[in-house]
Amino acid sequence: MIVPPFIMGGLVQINMYFFKYLQHIVPLFIFTIIFSDVKSQTPGLYTYQELSHLYYAKQNDSIKKNWICPKLYKEKETQKKYSEIWQDRLSFISNAINTKDFVYEKDIYNYLSQIVTDIITANPNTITKAPLILLDRSSSVNAYAIGGNILAVNLGLVEFASTREELALVIAHELSHNILNHADNSIKERAELLTSDEYKATLNSVLDSKYERLTRLKKALQGYSFSRSKHNRYHEADADSLAVVLLKNSKISFDAKYFLRLDSADIQYKKTLKNPVKTYFEKYSLSVEDWWTQKKSKGLSTKSYNFKDTASIQDSLKTHPECKERYIKNLLLSDGGKTTPIPQIIKDKTKKIIIWNMFDNQNLTACLYEILLEKDKGNTDVWYDFMFHNIFNGLYYSDKQLNRFNAINVKPKEYISKDYYELQNMLEQMPKENLEQFAKKLKEGSFWQGMPSDAKALKTLMNTIAFAEESSDKIENNAAKEFIANFPNSMYCEFADHFKKK
Amino acid sequence: MKKNLLLAVCSFLILFNSNAQSKVFKEVSDEISSQVNAIMQDGALVGYLMFTQLEKVSEDSFSYKISIMDENLNDIGVVNFREEKISLQSVAFEQDVLCLAYLKSNVIGQKFKKLKGYKSAAPTANNSIVTQFLNLEGKILKTNQIAVDIKTSTFKNNEGFFVGTGSLDHGIQLRNINQKGFALFYGDKDIQQLVTYTSTGEVLWKKNIDVAKYYSLFTTPNDIYMVVKKKDKMDEGGYEAWSYATADGKQYPNYEMKDKEGRSLKILSFDNDLTTGNLYAAGNIINPNKGNSYYTAKDVANGPYDGVFTISFNGHNKGDIKEVFTYWSGGDLKPEISTRGRLMENKHFAKYYHCSRDFNGNTYFAGTSFTKRPKIGAIVASVVFLPLLAPPILLAGLGYNKCYGKDAVILKQTPKGVLSIDNFVASSHPHVVVGRAPFEGFVNNKTFYHVTNSNTKSNYLIIDDTKNITLYNINKRQVTRTIPHKDGKIRTNVYPAKEGHILVSEYNQKEKYTRLSIEAL
Repeated sequence: MIVPPFIMGGLVQINMYFFKYLQHIVPLFIFTIIFSDVKSQTPGLYTYQELSHLYYAKQNDSIKKNWICPKLYKEKETQKKYSEIWQDRLSFISNAINTKDFVYEKDIYNYLSQIVTDIITANPNTITKAPLILLDRSSSVNAYAIGGNILAVNLGLVEFASTREELALVIAHELSHNILNHADNSIKERAELLTSDEYKATLNSVLDSKYERLTRLKKALQGYSFSRSKHNRYHEADADSLAVVLLKNSKISFDAKYFLRLDSADIQYKKTLKNPVKTYFEKYSLSVEDWWTQKKSKGLSTKSYNFKDTASIQDSLKTHPECKERYIKNLLLSDGGKTTPIPQIIKDKTKKIIIWNMFDNQNLTACLYEILLEKDKGNTDVWYDFMFHNIFNGLYYSDKQLNRFNAINVKPKEYISKDYYELQNMLEQMPKENLEQFAKKLKEGSFWQGMPSDAKALKTLMNTIAFAEESSDKIENNAAKEFIANFPNSMYCEFADHFKKK
Repeated sequence: MKKNLLLAVCSFLILFNSNAQSKVFKEVSDEISSQVNAIMQDGALVGYLMFTQLEKVSEDSFSYKISIMDENLNDIGVVNFREEKISLQSVAFEQDVLCLAYLKSNVIGQKFKKLKGYKSAAPTANNSIVTQFLNLEGKILKTNQIAVDIKTSTFKNNEGFFVGTGSLDHGIQLRNINQKGFALFYGDKDIQQLVTYTSTGEVLWKKNIDVAKYYSLFTTPNDIYMVVKKKDKMDEGGYEAWSYATADGKQYPNYEMKDKEGRSLKILSFDNDLTTGNLYAAGNIINPNKGNSYYTAKDVANGPYDGVFTISFNGHNKGDIKEVFTYWSGGDLKPEISTRGRLMENKHFAKYYHCSRDFNGNTYFAGTSFTKRPKIGAIVASVVFLPLLAPPILLAGLGYNKCYGKDAVILKQTPKGVLSIDNFVASSHPHVVVGRAPFEGFVNNKTFYHVTNSNTKSNYLIIDDTKNITLYNINKRQVTRTIPHKDGKIRTNVYPAKEGHILVSEYNQKEKYTRLSIEAL
């Protein structure tokens, strides 16, 4: 998977593993009946109308109307290619808005917006116009600029960052991409390269050869990729440098160690739990049998393998410089200034939105694991119990739909902790009778007393769908419509949407 | 990708396709061919392997890529290598080593511009079996080669090339030997040979095998079995079990598959016992008089079989081989099954296709039941039109019976030989046919296989008929799930997967995508 040329990634090196799973998630999202979302009207969380397809509808229209591809090239072919890539960028952002990738959550938005305002105010000559800030609900630790003065910040980054200054560095880095026109320039460069005589000649020479055509083709394409990656790495380094200047002007402290911390961003499921997996179920009087968590399969997944050919992406193809390299390069610029922890309310809301989104994307093991990690922090918010219920209800429904495997989203053991692996095994191996029993028992949990009415109504909806004698589109449609009619503002309408006939 | 195996191989090309000249990509991708094989160990699926021929790298060699996936379809590694023209035949896994068996040839699979090219190459064809041993670090530990003699021919393909064809008389069979290595069997124009290897690819021993019509290779930790079918007066009989010591290839006395009265046996399943790991055979006892008439529903109703059997191969001495024969005519069975094998409860006839064993040593025989009724109208018409001669002859030609394919039936045979009708499992029924219609495809519309889950000690029978896939829990004697093949625009099929699971493939005809899911039973 290659990053589209118009996306200028955040501070984080995007590794191949992330792409691999992104590839899984995307088709799943498209291809399966999505079992998703529950959200209570916990004060402060967003409404259905604050999901991007509605909240940013006007902006989306405006983008579609005003993002007109400029005429830059005399050569028709180059201009055509340029238009195509331009259009790809437009479709990318427009589709993302339509598919509810973004959300407007007032507190998180204001928090990020304030950082942006502080930077802009301190750099009036460099940044003349405030960007459109979009909160991407993805859990991956990243942010991106796509040109057009748009700045997208993943909630995974907000969750990962420990201080306001860390977030500010990423934001300043992305603003720098916009200031330096990196996305727009990238589109131009790509259009020019793909229509260049040299590039065409290289490709055509492949057909002239009798042998090793694929190798020759790959070399030609890799040469192109290398050139682009190298270019991107220059862009990233430039963005780093400018970001530090922007922060200095804004009196926001900078510490090069942030780069090192970002190096660990892709090991989120390597975190371990404080207690054995089964103990987290005791609170709900759910009994977990030991063999559910133990992998007895003879399968290759249980073996110790280490295929060197596929171990890592070639350094020359990486789009970002190594974090360590960036740390060293910027070490002397660290100012040792004060740092400000991100307010707990921002952290809490971010976590909840991420968990909800994982559930909506049918990534149930990861979703449950996030809840267990939250419980390890001593969080007793009943919302997490509510999500606990939703996960088992969703898993039971997925099992009935012959889709449990995809809902679990099995990850290879080398990318996850032992606890995650056990939890994954459990969700995969527990007999369906027990799964049904879990779902039914959680339906009766005492935590429901503390839940708002839309969450309770969602329970009714989910149980109607999951426990229907025979699955019927009509039953699902009616139940979904009823929920939406009664709670039109609830964020849980997103879940109902999946079952409402279009 | 994960669930779209074939797309994965071309992802690299597809990625760039929209950005460059499609002709280049089309021509290069046309040269790429892939196949997916299951990786098996001790009869269980442990992973998947995609073998891809990438490109021609010289006059006579190609580059290949092996992509290995675990049992959850997650990629775990890739191995690239170059070889002459090879085609992957079989894969097995043992002691963290993959053994791949290929057929290598400078004629078979090769394209010749002119017939003359083929004709000059064919007489000196260089054909061989290549065994390749790969560890889980992607290192090729060893490659062995056995020269084979294959009769080749040619055909002209759509592109106008003459393509060499040919196959072994007995195709390559490869199995792992638990804790030892691998066993490979093949037969060419001259010999049939059994070869064993250590897990690092060293040849343990080779043995030439006697002539038979068909061969099937099975292994246990200590023994290697060749189940062979020889010419016999009974078409479906003639089976023998030949066994060899894994350690040195020492041959044990052959075991002729017959009952005590010399009746031939029809093997339905030959498999490892779930608790002992020893091999067992199960199937039907063939009636010596009517046993060669089994083609039509009418034949089957006449009783070509006398009962069922299970033979457990616990060793090589006579006493170690436990034979359990149960005859329809056995006194205890009279209330349930007639002497012709008719199921008395509902007056159905049955033909059996599949056997499996549970964790308690019981054997289950699964088959299709059917009924036979006289065609009253045809009989009356024949009588009425008897003076006209022609119509009765015509009607007689069509037969005076009609058959209705019915539910699946399961018989249970205990280790002591007590046989009972365990259950009838509802399944779709084919259209009524005349009694003389072929049984397969007309009366029987089902295929059977089984899945076991050693964690829960559960056995499942999968009944796949033309309309539905039925998952039946043998131990609980109940259907756990019925999956329609077609539900709206979704076409569903199931395949064997890792232990205790099935691979569900759902093709959405409207949206044009396939979703794969590995579901526990």
